[in-house]
Amino acid sequence: MNNSLPRLIDGMVATLRKEVIPHIDSDFARGQAYGVIYMLSSIKLRAAWSNAFLSEQLHALEETSLELKDLAAELAGAPLPDAPDRTKLPDSAELEEVRNAGDRRICELIDWLATNRATVAPGVLTRAEAAIDKYLNWQSRFELKTSAKPMFAEMSGGVEKS
Amino acid sequence: MRQPQRAASAEAPAFEDARLLRRRLAVFLSANSGADVVVERRSKFPAGFSWITYAVQVAGFARAREVILRIGPPYGLFAPYSAMPEFDSLSALAASAVPAPRVFFASDDPAILGAPFFICEKVEGDTPLPWGSQGQTMEGSRRESLAADFIDALAALHGFDWRTTPLAKWGEGVTKENAAELQIDDWQGRFERWALRPHPMAHRTLAWLRAHAPKAQHVSLVHGDYRLGNFLERDGRISAILDWELVHLGDPIEDVGWAFLPQYRGGTSLVCGLAGEADFVARYEARSGLKVDPASLKFYIVFSLMKLAFTHVAAARCFEDGLFNDMRMPAMATQIAPVFRQIAKALEGTW
Repeated sequence: MNNSLPRLIDGMVATLRKEVIPHIDSDFARGQAYGVIYMLSSIKLRAAWSNAFLSEQLHALEETSLELKDLAAELAGAPLPDAPDRTKLPDSAELEEVRNAGDRRICELIDWLATNRATVAPGVLTRAEAAIDKYLNWQSRFELKTSAKPMFAEMSGGVEKS
Repeated sequence: MRQPQRAASAEAPAFEDARLLRRRLAVFLSANSGADVVVERRSKFPAGFSWITYAVQVAGFARAREVILRIGPPYGLFAPYSAMPEFDSLSALAASAVPAPRVFFASDDPAILGAPFFICEKVEGDTPLPWGSQGQTMEGSRRESLAADFIDALAALHGFDWRTTPLAKWGEGVTKENAAELQIDDWQGRFERWALRPHPMAHRTLAWLRAHAPKAQHVSLVHGDYRLGNFLERDGRISAILDWELVHLGDPIEDVGWAFLPQYRGGTSLVCGLAGEADFVARYEARSGLKVDPASLKFYIVFSLMKLAFTHVAAARCFEDGLFNDMRMPAMATQIAPVFRQIAKALEGTW
């Protein structure tokens, strides 16, 4: 893929909006197309090319550079590629699991506090609850910040609001 | 034609084959009415996410020329379904002051139409919707008339004596003291089935609700989805309250809390786009004889927001499992966070 992901999404959205939707007769089908635009716009705020996609290319580069390194003596002065540093980076699925594990522990802490309030010193309880609320507020703000403007009216009626 | 797009499955249920549905429906109606019923024409209502609704023209059925057929598909938002709660409650309400469709038949036997279904009368009227006309208030006298009907029907529902009807069997174990707790349990169970990932805000909300559950003034029939969009209007009057799929016994203030949600205000400050909050409460209290305690109302608004957030979680689950390819499903799922944010604001740091 030679284009950036955000530009590709912009192009897909513009094509749907200008070249496809005006030629759809069904209200429902146009609503579905607006649903696709809404989802693409949200994906644009969150997605990047996957680590695995780039990692495959680094792997090929590494193999090539190692093969060429064996020839270094015979290629004096040639600009040979360095083996890229392929420090093991977690892929997106692994990062998601780390995030979920953290959220799961916060869920468990909320449940524990709910049943053990009487045994926790009031000052400690207040600080723990404030810390949790701070995280929850950050989490919901972040979700909103990384979501596109909703298009429910368009999805219901199949007509774009001006 | 509006139609939810289903993901591929091995074998389509009977109700998805138009000719088979027509044939089986005619056989069912004939067998249950003792007459030779012919299904002449059917048309599908704009697709929702839950029950599928058809208007069906029939010949030979003595009780109606046109009926409504509602089918609970195995891929619906709240599946698996039973037609019986809605059928039983509407049957019980037939002689009440609540405007509701007369029901004729129901069955959960998938051998008949491929899914649970019920058949009721087709009530004339249109459905004002809370979305699509943002900021446009209804005209004065029409709005006032609808507001009065909307509130009076709710009061009538909450005053309905279900104990003298077959619904009495639902009352086992439901008390004024545990009505709220039972609903929290029910929705927590749904959430645990639907959630695709941990949601700390869901746990925060559930903990708050359990700490603030009010005692009901009495146990009543609760509609469960009482709002703008779920009634029919004819000539400025409400001709029928619809969509009883979440009906249950509980605290009547639960329905008030749901009706108060900002999502159903149609871009206005009015409850369901119909009445100011104070006017709504005053009329409801006068008609029902119940008090709308502010703490209880706040509890049920938070509870209702949680129900709404969990419904969005259900949409995420439904789409992720490949049951529906309808793009409105993932779009609905994006609303989990905004609704959780509304809950956080309502809780104002209280635990």
